Amino acid sequence: MRSPFSFALAAILAALFAAASSGVAQSSYTPPKTPWGDPDLQGIWPGNMGVPLQRPKNMGERAVLTDEEYARRVAQAKQASAADAVEFAPADQKIGIGPPSYWTERGTPTRQASLIIDPPDGRLPPMTPEGKAVQAKTPAQWAGKANSYEDVNLYYRCITRGVTGSIIPVVYNNGNQILQAPGYVVIRNEMIHESRVIPLDGRPHVGPAIRMYMGDSRGHWEGNTLVVETTNFTGKTSIGSNGVAYNGEGGRNSESMRLIERLTRVDANTINYEATVDDPKTWTRPWTMLIPLKRDDKYQFLEYACHEGNYALKDILAGARAQEAEASK
Amino acid sequence: MMRSFSIAAVAAVIFSVGLAAHGQAYRAPRSADGHADLNGIWEALNTANWDLQDHSPAPGTMWETGAIGAEPAGQGVVEGGVIPYLPAALEKKNQNFADRRTKDPEAKCYMPGIPRANYMPYPFQIVQSPNGILFVYEYASANRFVNMGKPQEAGSDTWMGTNNGHWEGDTLVIDVTGLNGLAWFDRAGDFASDQLHVVERFTRTDRDHLQYEATIEDPKTFSRPWKISMPLYRRVEKNAQLLEFKCVEFAEELLYGQYKKK
Repeated sequence: MRSPFSFALAAILAALFAAASSGVAQSSYTPPKTPWGDPDLQGIWPGNMGVPLQRPKNMGERAVLTDEEYARRVAQAKQASAADAVEFAPADQKIGIGPPSYWTERGTPTRQASLIIDPPDGRLPPMTPEGKAVQAKTPAQWAGKANSYEDVNLYYRCITRGVTGSIIPVVYNNGNQILQAPGYVVIRNEMIHESRVIPLDGRPHVGPAIRMYMGDSRGHWEGNTLVVETTNFTGKTSIGSNGVAYNGEGGRNSESMRLIERLTRVDANTINYEATVDDPKTWTRPWTMLIPLKRDDKYQFLEYACHEGNYALKDILAGARAQEAEASK
Repeated sequence: MMRSFSIAAVAAVIFSVGLAAHGQAYRAPRSADGHADLNGIWEALNTANWDLQDHSPAPGTMWETGAIGAEPAGQGVVEGGVIPYLPAALEKKNQNFADRRTKDPEAKCYMPGIPRANYMPYPFQIVQSPNGILFVYEYASANRFVNMGKPQEAGSDTWMGTNNGHWEGDTLVIDVTGLNGLAWFDRAGDFASDQLHVVERFTRTDRDHLQYEATIEDPKTFSRPWKISMPLYRRVEKNAQLLEFKCVEFAEELLYGQYKKK
């Protein structure tokens, strides 16, 4: 016969397991309400760097770092910040250094083993043959070809980073601002400068002939969670940091992707942002990432005039032409 | 007695209808904090983006687009009719006009700046939240956040400026500083310098209209402050929403075409 003690222990273990497996600590926090009664998500909520999209294979289904692993991650982040402060590249460095330290805002990484929380191994599910074919033909990561501006990715062209690429934390300009008015939530991203105005009135999506890089978003509340469903994508964007999917960390989504985002304020200073990528043309099953966004009232949201100051794209193309002229001499 | 009462009642009704017809009695709906509610999708319905001043119809900059690219006639929105340029600035405006096909920041898909953002031929949405007011423009995904708290000093110069707002009765007044002077006012080459200071006034005059006014001041470019005004119209379609006009890729051939591999 079970003792009441072992029953209670089992219940506690089950609860711990459920919390760990979803990656989200269940929260009893009740967020404040707007004057018209919606849960209040307003504020500036940057994300912090340092968690990879995919989990190292050897970690299996372990979703949280050990103390030792976490200490190493924090040390790495500190090292990266120190490297930001180096003003000049070493003479033997072939190309490029990071941005100056006054640009960077790496923040403190979390203990999450990976941004992906589902599948349970924290890794991207296999791509479909169609997904692989698209990926092979038009890699999301720019490989250096510069015959035309069209060879360069959407981020370097200052067009967009897509919806998830605008939230996944990177080295600078991670500002996300949420504003609400009756019937609407706006998610504004600092880099590139995007503002998604999300209607909450249950209207249908726009017609299928209208395609948008940032998609067509509709929202509703499930308890205190804002659920946003986005469709009508272009099929030209990718999922990953800056919408680029560096080093195979994500991939190009199709135009028929359905993106489900869930935003839950789990304490006064944290919104858990979960995004489920449902794109059966590209991936063999839906997958979900979790990004905790941290409130920062002092964060200065700057104007990111990317295209207006895009000397790099001109220089990439002009440089390639100069190299060709040199080679043909 | 009865009769004179009903005459008075009828007279009162006629009087109030008359007032409403003149817009005097209109009281804008209220936001949660008691201010006039300016939430909505708005758009200008004029030719100010072609030319702020009076203009006759004219051919476009490229004969290939025929009548489609031509400029419609329009009555100006400048109070007093003429922009008071200093002589050197007027010369620059004329040069801008001559070079407009490639030099107009709109052709390059650059951010529109203030005041131009408000009268481009694209809708914009005012999101009036308890935390501040966001203007979201369909054109080029431009936006600007209007701080309604303690006024903030402008940092670096920007395209959309540093926006500090306050209420004067039911009118939203936005003081815009820190503008970089790179945006134009219209396709006719009207411009200002980085000394530009714009004070905007938005007043809801009935359910479907905002009256927009902007006072423009720039001692490096103009001999005195001047003013534009126009109504903005609410997009009343039931399914009205901002769509996407990310125009960067429409401008890339213009900007980078000469650097492509031949």
